[in-house]
Amino acid sequence: MKGSINARKGEKRRAAEPFEPRIIGFLCNWCSYAGADRAGLAQTPYPPNVSIVRVMCTGRIEPVFIMKAFQQGADGVIVLACHPGDCHYKEGNLRAAQRHALLARVMLQMGVERERCRFDYVSAGEGEKYAQLVTDMVESVRMLGPLKKVSAGGEI
Amino acid sequence: MKIGLYFCNCGSNIAELVDPEKVRLGLAQDGLAYFKTYPFLCSEEGKAFLEQDLRDERPDRVVIAACTPREHEATFMRVLEQAGMNPYLMQMVNLREQVAWVTKEPEQAVRKAVLAIRGALLRVALQQELEREELEVASSVLVLGGGPAGLKASLTLARAGRKVVLVEKGPAIGGLPVLYEELFPDLECGPCMLEPLMGELLHGEYAGNIELLTLSELAEVKGFFGNFSATIRRRPRYLDEATCIGCGECVEACPVAGKNPFDCGMGEKKAMAFAFPGALPNLPYLDPALCTRFTEGGECRLCSESCPMGADVVRYQDAETLVERQVGAIVVATGASLYDCTTFPQLGYGVLPQVKTAHELERMLASNGPFAGDPSGLPERVLFIHCVGSLDEGHRPYCSGICCQYAFKLNRLLRSRLPQARIHHLYREIAAAGKEASALYLSAREDPGTALSRYGSLAGLSVREEGGEARVFVAGGESLSADLVVLCPAVVPGEDAGALGALLEVSLDRFGFYEEMHGRIDASSSKMRGIYLAGACQGPADIQRAALQGVAAAGSVLCELVEGRKLRLEPLFASVDPELCSGCRVCLKVCPYRAVSFDSEKGVACVSSVLCHGCGTCVAACPAGASRAQHFTGEMILAEIEGALK
Ligand code: SF4
Ligand code: SF4
Repeated sequence: MKGSINARKGEKRRAAEPFEPRIIGFLCNWCSYAGADRAGLAQTPYPPNVSIVRVMCTGRIEPVFIMKAFQQGADGVIVLACHPGDCHYKEGNLRAAQRHALLARVMLQMGVERERCRFDYVSAGEGEKYAQLVTDMVESVRMLGPLKKVSAGGEI
Repeated sequence: MKIGLYFCNCGSNIAELVDPEKVRLGLAQDGLAYFKTYPFLCSEEGKAFLEQDLRDERPDRVVIAACTPREHEATFMRVLEQAGMNPYLMQMVNLREQVAWVTKEPEQAVRKAVLAIRGALLRVALQQELEREELEVASSVLVLGGGPAGLKASLTLARAGRKVVLVEKGPAIGGLPVLYEELFPDLECGPCMLEPLMGELLHGEYAGNIELLTLSELAEVKGFFGNFSATIRRRPRYLDEATCIGCGECVEACPVAGKNPFDCGMGEKKAMAFAFPGALPNLPYLDPALCTRFTEGGECRLCSESCPMGADVVRYQDAETLVERQVGAIVVATGASLYDCTTFPQLGYGVLPQVKTAHELERMLASNGPFAGDPSGLPERVLFIHCVGSLDEGHRPYCSGICCQYAFKLNRLLRSRLPQARIHHLYREIAAAGKEASALYLSAREDPGTALSRYGSLAGLSVREEGGEARVFVAGGESLSADLVVLCPAVVPGEDAGALGALLEVSLDRFGFYEEMHGRIDASSSKMRGIYLAGACQGPADIQRAALQGVAAAGSVLCELVEGRKLRLEPLFASVDPELCSGCRVCLKVCPYRAVSFDSEKGVACVSSVLCHGCGTCVAACPAGASRAQHFTGEMILAEIEGALK
């Protein structure tokens, strides 16, 4: 992908506004998305800062999606998969975990702090865990402040 | 492009917190063609409203902001279809579970809703009309294994009018229980229980629907759900099966004999013989490993000459054949094996004549076994060692489930034949759950001639021969003498489970049994579409469980592979653009369903839309961007991200 991530829309925000992190959450349809629904059924409140992108399997998530999210103004990305052994498609979650580990290193080199790019497991029953993860994520990104810029190049 | 939005208030569930009017204002810049609300869009009135409105408005794309798509995506897709629209031109936004019910402030909720809808608007614009492909299917079914699970599956399918090809590896059907004269929990006779089933299968009203291939194994399988082509290898019986009346004259006449595998080598059988007395189908088979025509190139024709049905019924010239059958589904019911007791050298199995397995004791007691049921040689002091390999981290960590029951059944059989017998059970755990299972255990416990004691670990037990009897040493405790030590080995996957699994591309669990779609709620399906599982091939099972699973597998086949109903394929599969594919084959490696194959002529990968489950793993892995996930393309996902961050 061409272009560096510093031409970010996020920077258009007025400085006076209190910082509200924007986070993209990639959730698989079977476990984590169902876990988020479960939090809803239990009416467990959590901060509204995460926009969910549903995919059938976290194995579908390309690194470019995550890069693009940062480039478009996200301050954090969270990928939530089924627990190991529970993947609806046998092992897509493990592929996602592998890819994530690699990408997290690349992101770090580009100056994106580790907390901004997280991977975790949430089952269909773990509404509480989902709400907690989202809350933690929002808080830690809030502490980091807005993602300013990503080091030169940006070519992935 | 005309994109319309339907906002479901869900009564007050959504609208109370997420004010539709504010959402509409928030979307003022987003080029929406219209924004309509409805109290309950999923109600009958709601669906009728939606259908009529779609007909009136004729939008190009639709966004439905309502509850979770996991609940109502299919509902609204059907409404789109009824309104004459392609159902894939719709996107749902989850405002209930993921916004209204979890957000505290109305302002925040409105903002979150607007972002989510923006993502959906950008995404839906890229969505395409997709067609559900329909395929003709073969309705016949291949059943592998003629034990209780395979028999019940075959009969259930045949009664429903399905053609069944039943493939059995051995010369006779009935599986293991047909060898056992008294079965737990109620001492019913095994052959008596199974014979009506086998009779119905061979000669009953629906026998015409079942083709039984004995001495046969699956050699190859091609294709996929609805359209498998199976090649079956048939070893010859050296007999014209249609003419033979099973009178056994040839068996009488045969002059050579060897070890009988059905009696664990304890008894003898002729080269031309029945598998065991009463074996069905009622046909002898010629064992080329024993017949002198095969072993020595001799000229013996005694069996053939003795046959009252003619000289050409016995057919020495027969050879292995391959037959091919087209089937829509496959039921695997190949059963299990017992753990190899020689793995425990300190127990003396295979070395000491006084150490036998429970299966061998069954045959020793059987009236059609090597001792013809004669109790005169029965041992007076018998020691059972339970859990040989089961519940043992170093061997099989699971409970095999059936051993306690058959051990206490054998206890009962020994006692009834030898009232003076002294029996001792060494066990690790007693497992006898269920409405009938504890009776035999309790009666053993109350029997004054039976002792039970618990042992800690198999490693602490050893069996040695002293003065012609076996002595069992228990670590830190007593030593017990016995005339016979009976081992109750763990139930383990069949020897061929791995090879057959590879052939069928059915995965194995960590113990080597076939892996179910879901261990509890979908245990009769494998993870391979169109391949079903029944009986002990998926884990230790007693007859009841195996038979039930046979019926369950047949039920799954009947409801998924319906005669005359075409196979409808969800279009959410991956496809490869041959122009872009570099032929690196990464996708072949990552696909969990082996849905990707390689066209070596063109040097490109291609995806089978039937086998692909649409996870998109290959798409994410493709370094060339050649692989595409329908309805979840990179463009669509990127558009959604962009919208959500606007
Ligand atoms: S991963 Fe992509 S380029 Fe490689 S073989 Fe598969 S489709 Fe072709
Ligand atoms: S989408 Fe998943 S199931 Fe389909 S071919 Fe790709 S990896 Fe295999």
